[in-house]
Amino acid sequence: MRHAPTMLVLAFLFLLPVLVLILQAGAPGWRYPELWPELGLDGVRFLATRPGPFLTALTGSLGYSLATVVLTLSMTILPAKALAYSSFRGKTLLEGLLLLPALVPAMTFSMGLHFIFIKIGLADTAPGVILVLSMISYPYMLRALTTGYTLMGREYEICARNLGASKWRVFLEVELPQLLPAMAAGGSVVFLVAFSEYFLVFLIGGGSVASFTGYLFPLITSSNRGLGALVTLVFLAVPIALFIVLELGLYRYHRKRRMR
Amino acid sequence: MRVTFFLSLLFLALTAGCSDAPQEESVLQQDYASLEKAARGTEVRWHMWGGSAQINQWVDTYVAGEMKRLYDINVVRVPMDAPVFVNKLLTEKAANKNTGTMDLLWINGENFKNSMQAGVLFGPFTDRLPNFAAWYDPQKAAHDFGYPVDGFEAPYGRAQFVFEFDTARTATPPADMAELAEWIKANPGRFTYPQPPDFTGSAFLRQIFYATTGGHEQYMDGINPELYAKNAPQTFAWLSDIKPYLWQEGRTYPKDAAALDTLFARGEIDMGMSYHPAHAQMKILEKTYPDTVRTFVLAEGAIFNTHFTAIPFNAPNKAGAMVLANFLMSPEAQLSKFRPENWGDLHALEVQKLDVAQREAFDAVDLGEATLDAGTLSAVAVPEIPSEYLELLERDWDKFILGH
Amino acid sequence: MRHNVILGLAPLLLPYCALFCAGLTLTLAQSMGLFLPLGPGEATLEYYQALTRDQGLGLSLRLSLFVAFFSAAGSVLGGTVLALALWRMPPGLRRVGVVSKIGLILPHVAVAFLVLLMLSQTGLVSSALFQLGLISTPEEFPNILHTGSGLGMILAFLLKGVPFALLLIGAVLFGFDIRLIQTARMLGAGPLRTFWSVTLPRLLPAMHSAFIILFLYAFGSFDIPFVLGESHPGMLSIRVFDIFFHRDLSQRPQAMAILTVMFVFAAVFAMLYNRFAAYMDAWRRKL
Repeated sequence: MRHAPTMLVLAFLFLLPVLVLILQAGAPGWRYPELWPELGLDGVRFLATRPGPFLTALTGSLGYSLATVVLTLSMTILPAKALAYSSFRGKTLLEGLLLLPALVPAMTFSMGLHFIFIKIGLADTAPGVILVLSMISYPYMLRALTTGYTLMGREYEICARNLGASKWRVFLEVELPQLLPAMAAGGSVVFLVAFSEYFLVFLIGGGSVASFTGYLFPLITSSNRGLGALVTLVFLAVPIALFIVLELGLYRYHRKRRMR
Repeated sequence: MRVTFFLSLLFLALTAGCSDAPQEESVLQQDYASLEKAARGTEVRWHMWGGSAQINQWVDTYVAGEMKRLYDINVVRVPMDAPVFVNKLLTEKAANKNTGTMDLLWINGENFKNSMQAGVLFGPFTDRLPNFAAWYDPQKAAHDFGYPVDGFEAPYGRAQFVFEFDTARTATPPADMAELAEWIKANPGRFTYPQPPDFTGSAFLRQIFYATTGGHEQYMDGINPELYAKNAPQTFAWLSDIKPYLWQEGRTYPKDAAALDTLFARGEIDMGMSYHPAHAQMKILEKTYPDTVRTFVLAEGAIFNTHFTAIPFNAPNKAGAMVLANFLMSPEAQLSKFRPENWGDLHALEVQKLDVAQREAFDAVDLGEATLDAGTLSAVAVPEIPSEYLELLERDWDKFILGH
Repeated sequence: MRHNVILGLAPLLLPYCALFCAGLTLTLAQSMGLFLPLGPGEATLEYYQALTRDQGLGLSLRLSLFVAFFSAAGSVLGGTVLALALWRMPPGLRRVGVVSKIGLILPHVAVAFLVLLMLSQTGLVSSALFQLGLISTPEEFPNILHTGSGLGMILAFLLKGVPFALLLIGAVLFGFDIRLIQTARMLGAGPLRTFWSVTLPRLLPAMHSAFIILFLYAFGSFDIPFVLGESHPGMLSIRVFDIFFHRDLSQRPQAMAILTVMFVFAAVFAMLYNRFAAYMDAWRRKL
């Protein structure tokens, strides 16, 4: 089969690592040169007996990641419309500048910002972490929404306004439904970026903001690889589960709308 | 919607600065019993090194459990390296942040000294803790790496530097420095040490410093730059000499003690080291090390130190922190900590002050096959020297060995 | 009209200035010795001068650039090849491509962990080779992670970068108008010529975007170098982390100076690369 090489490469690059993680999670004592380890559920038992810190870290990360999605959405929805529908001198430059926070190393502005945050009391707080995460992830939401608005076109809005609908109503009933795919796409990227971020949460959160990456990081370099692999698998499973829920939700929503 | 958000942000920022007036004086004036009462139902955030799952578990289960049961205090362990939280305190002090987020710190050595010199610790408080007066020798806890403690930190445990080896791979370990150098050269690529300024790597540097320059006594009187300049070259000559025979030819070093443990556990190197005598036993019980691992010390001496807990100047819950520090010094906590299945950290209290039953409990603790007995350890015990030497050694290691 | 646009942009411009610009300004200020934690100082360029004299820093810069370039280039190449391969598949089979999303979802630390697990000298690949009888001791396994060239980090960045490039390039490729290809073939062009003149030009913008993003990310990344980086030379971001968290507060301006240089480099690079890409495109079209 001529597609076999491609499938092999895909399986090797992405499925094999997951398999390795599963095996390592179930075999903490896996030592060289065993290829097939002896299984022991110590890691699972460890987590099962004291789930407290693990769950706190997980809910903490979920919390601030979702909050970042909401914040970036509210930050970029109006600007996306303005950028999609208007043209003015210096627009390309402005768009370039607005993309910068996602391009330049986050360290460059976050370390200066950290000092400011300490002075105004936002350091070591969840709002501080959410603000900084929004800063590095909003460009993705902005791009998605701008594309969404551009594809949508102004006609619907103009039509609805002509028919007498208020701005708010236009937004809720005309624009929002059509923007949902773009919002979902942008939101997924923002969520992933926020959920996987370690350094910024560590810097601004200062250990006071519970974070799943903070829980995972020390395990990676330690000799307790079984636990590290287990936590990594959870790290993989949570976004996947959320995305499935999102897809199902969107699907249901579109079905309902079509039936109306 | 955005307006309200930014307004609330402003409100937050404004009120955050309005911390309650420093209650330090009042806390230090109260007697211990009322401190215990005041701390009931509160939360204590304990920032400590989080690189050992075993230690983390002991704190999260035993310490947190007992503190909740005995004093109704919620202990939250926050993993954070000592240099990181010291840095945080220094920045917070400079920014006039009078209410921080850390209540208790696990600290010692140059981190303690730097904190004291910057004035970021709260105290003196140990004299107000009943367990300190009851079970501890103030003399022994008076100095930390040669720097006066003055009651600003409470003893927590003791540690001594040991090397680890696997009897299955190495029949007899080296007995002194010269034999160690020979062994390294005879087994190229099978030895390394964590990169300073990692705590264990730095301790290894000091071990070599003592051994190559004639011992520690000459350094105990405070920093002497001429003496250092005269003696240090011998240390770096020794280290440069073995460098080509190290793991990866000495071009790169494991980032920290945990990385070194992993290399040793996986058989990439044949010797490990740790500033914790029961570390090997702990790893054997965790099934990370094979059970043929043992420890050894060199004839030139094995450095020991005491490690402590301290309270930041801006701790939000000083009363709770003092109760926790007091509990950690209790015979029960020290005994639990002493058991290798929990941690195996040496106790810091005076066994003579205990009653017979307690003393027997301590004697009965079996530190395991892999741990050297107390007699062997104390025979070669040498103290830490002023931490300024530490900083000089670390700086010069970067320069001479790493080529930075 | 203008007024409305500004109002529309305000929800973004306000935090942009208050957080991003303010943070950058403070980094710049602290690098010049002002607004330091130890008290307001005087403006001075001495920290930048110290940078130029520091040879170790030069090596770190070279390593960061090297790792960033090869991981970004490799990812774009790999992503393009994979996208083309998936494109050739019948639509039903193409769904297997979704497996690559795993690479996108895994956090960077986890990818570094995987590289450690698989490629260290006592890792899985080494065990496999041992079982096959090809090597008999761990030392015989090639020393991938500790060569001093950052190979371990490059591989980890590739594992994250290939799915990302696949996503960007696939988006263009899968929306491609097949009639363009058919027309070219009808006019007698061979498969290679068709690819070069018809397909590739349309993929180039996405490829350039992916390259810039991946290059700058690898350049300033912290997670992967922290786990897989080596002692000497270290990546720039680790140097900054070291000075910021492990050294004296008085050395902080040094870290800020390095960060300012990194920022300027990133911004200039992004701008120049865009110009360069547009120029190359125009030049190619003239051919």
